[in-house]
Formats: sequence, structure tokens, C-alpha cells
Amino acid sequence: MWPTRIRRVRLRHAAAATYLPHPRQFLLQALAVALSLSSVLMAHTALELLTNCKSPAVVVLSASMEPGVRRGDLLLLSNYAPQRYANGDITVYQVPGHAIPIVHRVLQTHDSPLTQQFLTKGDNNDVDDLALYDGLEWLEAAHVVGKVQGIIPFVGYVSILFNEMPRMRNGVFGIIGLASLFSS
Amino acid sequence: MHNIFSRVNNVSALLSSCVMGLLAAIAVMSMVSSVFEAPLEGGSVVVTGVTVVPGKGRQHKYEHARVEFEIDSDLSPLFNWNTKQLFLYLDAEYTNAKGVKNAVVIWDRIVRRKEDAKIHVAGRQKYAFKDLSGFRDAAATYTLRYNMMPHVGALMYGTAGTTNGTVSFPPMINHS
Repeated sequence: MWPTRIRRVRLRHAAAATYLPHPRQFLLQALAVALSLSSVLMAHTALELLTNCKSPAVVVLSASMEPGVRRGDLLLLSNYAPQRYANGDITVYQVPGHAIPIVHRVLQTHDSPLTQQFLTKGDNNDVDDLALYDGLEWLEAAHVVGKVQGIIPFVGYVSILFNEMPRMRNGVFGIIGLASLFSS
Repeated sequence: MHNIFSRVNNVSALLSSCVMGLLAAIAVMSMVSSVFEAPLEGGSVVVTGVTVVPGKGRQHKYEHARVEFEIDSDLSPLFNWNTKQLFLYLDAEYTNAKGVKNAVVIWDRIVRRKEDAKIHVAGRQKYAFKDLSGFRDAAATYTLRYNMMPHVGALMYGTAGTTNGTVSFPPMINHS
């Protein structure tokens, strides 16, 4: 009985050794991947805090603000108090019940002491956004995600490509993930 | 290990950080240089005629204002190597009888080339200018503003001309 038992244990050990030649190194690399992921998350959260805006960077998907803001542009937003907007500001707003936020310019503002009502329009559209408000007559501060402060061109195309081709996204992330885990 | 993956990874990381660094440098430099630019001079906005007529909106009865104006302004100093376009807009600002502060864009234009930046427009409003509670006893200031949109970097705003004082709305003309 004894010899066979010892042999079995040895075999198991050998199999584990071919899958993970250096378990300590494997753990260190897994830690490095986790660290880089968490640093991205931390940077995003820090930006949220600094800009007071729940999505401080957005990618433009449509052409309704062409040619000033193009599809694929990365927009940097802020939303500091008091959340009042002025004509000419480019706001990102979200109508209740609609998932996709819209980037359009403020066309009218009506300020009362406690509230502000405003109307927006895309630079490339002929008419204002009333038809997009889904029954609302005016936008209010509660609908606004943020105000555009800066533009970085083209950077957002990566995310547009990934969103429109989920297989490519999965492939690229899969390869990067596997490579960073197993390469030394 | 110096395998193909790590080489590609290193080169693309270097490339992308160089590009991002360059973009950041461009954005910061054009922001800094805009501080030293002289303010725009000589812009003028003259309102040549205002009428107020009754009108119907989708849900309510409004008073509609019809505005004719003349704009003169030279915005070519705003064009530098990082200017993608200017968004010009004529803003009418007034406080109505209910104490609401209103600002309404009645005309706008996109300027994409320096050659088109000398603006002379004698015309009328492009967009509806209406008030639910009416324009009675109100007077508006008309200001030509611009938004400089860069290729990369921060949006910048400014004023290119304004009316001398306020322009009163006349009483509403009733056709009935």
C-alpha cells in the first residue's frame, strides 16, 4: 500500500508544478493586475470628487453638436454649486426614464430665486430640444449631469469601437488579462 | 522577458503617453496664451426695431417679441492655432413682471475660419423669443457673446459687444 500512495502524491505535485511553476510570482502578478484596476477606479473616484460630477468624462456618440464637438471626442465635465447654467454653456443632461445622456448647448435660461428652468439645442440641429424632453417643458438642475469644460479629440473612439464590437472588446481585454497574468 | 507582447506593450504605452503629454501641453499653452491676449474692441450691437405680438405656443398663449438688430464685430483675434471654431450668440436678457430673470438666445452663428470672423449682420432673430407672462414694462440688454471651442483644451467664453443700456419692449400690438 505505502509505495503506491507516495507515488500518487508525487504525481499530483508534478501536475500542479506544470500549471504553476512559480506560485509566488503568479500571486504577485495577480496583485499587480488588481492594483492597476483599483488605481483606475481610484482615479475615477478622485475625478468625481474634484469635479463634483458623477461622470466627469464622457464620450460623444452623436453628431448633433458638429462641428464643434465631434463623435469620438472625450469631454471633461464639472458640476460645481450653484448648479445654475448660462446661455452658451454646453451641458450634459439626462431626461428621467432615458438611459443615454445628451450633450447640447443652453439656449434659454429663466431664473427664479429658488429654481432655474432652461432650454437646450444642439448646434447642428435646426430646432430646440423640447421634443427630446419627453413631456417636460423645461430642463432643471436635477436633470443635468455636468457642464463641458474641455475637449480632447479622438480619444473616445476606442470606447466607441469597444461598445459597438463587444467581441473585439472581450478579445482585447481577455488577451491583455491573460498576458499580464502569465507573462513574466 | 523580451517577447513580442512586451515590446508592443512598451512601444504603445510610450506612444500613447507621449501623445497625451503633447495634447496636455497644447491645452495648457493655449489657455496661458489666452490670458495675455488683448480683449476684443470695437464690437457693437444695435437693436433697430422691436415689436411684440400675441402668439400661441404648444400649450399656452405667449407674447412673442420680434427683434431686428445690427451687429458689427471683428473676432479674428480669437483665431489662433488651437481654435476649432467660434460659436457666436446674441443674448437678450431681461427681467419680466414676475421677477423672473430671463436670458434668451435669439440668433447664433458658427464661425470656422479667420476669414469669416469679421461679422457684420443686419437682420432679425432666428429663434422664438416669447414670454408667458408678457413683456409689459420690461427692457432688455442685447449682448453678443462667443464661445471659443479649441481643438484640444478648455472652452472659453467672452463678450464681443453689447447694446448701450437697455431697449424697452413696446406695448403688444393686438390685431383683433
